Amino acid sequence: MNASFDVLFEIAWRFASLSLLAIGGINALLPEIHRIVVDVEGWMTSAEFADLFALAQLAPGPNAMVVSLLGWKVAGIAGAFVATIAACGPSSLVSYFAVRALERLRDGSIRGILQRALAPVAIGLVLAIGYTLARAADRSVGAVLLTVASAAAIAGTRVNPIWILAAAAIAGVAGVA
Amino acid sequence: MGAQQNKTLSHPPIARATLFAAFLKIGLLGFGGVMPWARRVLVDERAWLSDREFAELIGMCQVLPGPNVVNLSVILGSRWQGPIGSLLALTGILFVPVIAVLILATFYASVAHAPIARSAIAGASAAAAGLIIGTAIRLITGSRPPLRALLLATAVFVAVGIAQAPLLWVLAVAVPLAIAVEWRAPR
Repeated sequence: MNASFDVLFEIAWRFASLSLLAIGGINALLPEIHRIVVDVEGWMTSAEFADLFALAQLAPGPNAMVVSLLGWKVAGIAGAFVATIAACGPSSLVSYFAVRALERLRDGSIRGILQRALAPVAIGLVLAIGYTLARAADRSVGAVLLTVASAAAIAGTRVNPIWILAAAAIAGVAGVA
Repeated sequence: MGAQQNKTLSHPPIARATLFAAFLKIGLLGFGGVMPWARRVLVDERAWLSDREFAELIGMCQVLPGPNVVNLSVILGSRWQGPIGSLLALTGILFVPVIAVLILATFYASVAHAPIARSAIAGASAAAAGLIIGTAIRLITGSRPPLRALLLATAVFVAVGIAQAPLLWVLAVAVPLAIAVEWRAPR
């Protein structure tokens, strides 16, 4: 793919302008990203978008890497890196300076209150993400059992998750899911 | 209070290479979501954070813009090795896996539609959801939150997970409420 400078610039400002809106992560912005990439720019079809999203979920690395894949689809490797940096750069800078300022606060009690307040919100959200993914993935009784077994193994043992995923993939091939 | 704040410094300083290696491991092993791997490496394997500190940091990352685990690597990299640490952690968790994903993407179309691959993916996806649920349970059992925190976590789960309410609205209600409750809570 020959990535012209114009296309790379377009990718950069499209994703950079969304970066600071990604409160709660890139997933919260997916409908908007879909609108821009498919409807406004016409860079790919809706089905291609869905395929890249599925791949980002499966592949190692943060699920936010769907952005890298979208950039790659449009403008190759340069597009992938431009999209990744544009989407994560502004938000990373804000996080960096916000937390530095917070950690310099002389009054540790304000920081403590903030941290203690946000922890349960985060736990509730992690649980919600897991539940949402389970609803999408669990289309059979076998799949539900795999989810429950995997959750129990992580919650109750120190077994390496890679073995859980490998065992579940084998169970899938054996027809369980 | 002072000693309690410094509990994160109770481990020896973390060298840059060690920092990079840990985040690279999280990034490259993070099949089906990075969060379970981040908790495993940072809390279980390296013991750089407690469950409670991990949950608090993830909470901070949720209200900041950007992907949570990307923010987590920026914040922890900076805490342990300054700006260079942030860049090293980011490279490990994000930029190296991007290359791996691009290689995967090249083969994906030809492999993903084979029936055996679809069955394996279906099984692994079901387990990946379980990993995240199990990680949330682990954060609860490991940090032993008070009853008010458990109630709040449950309310957020019900609103976002079951009722599928928009995340921003839930945060707009839950975060001020949580701060108000903690403000008044006896310590």
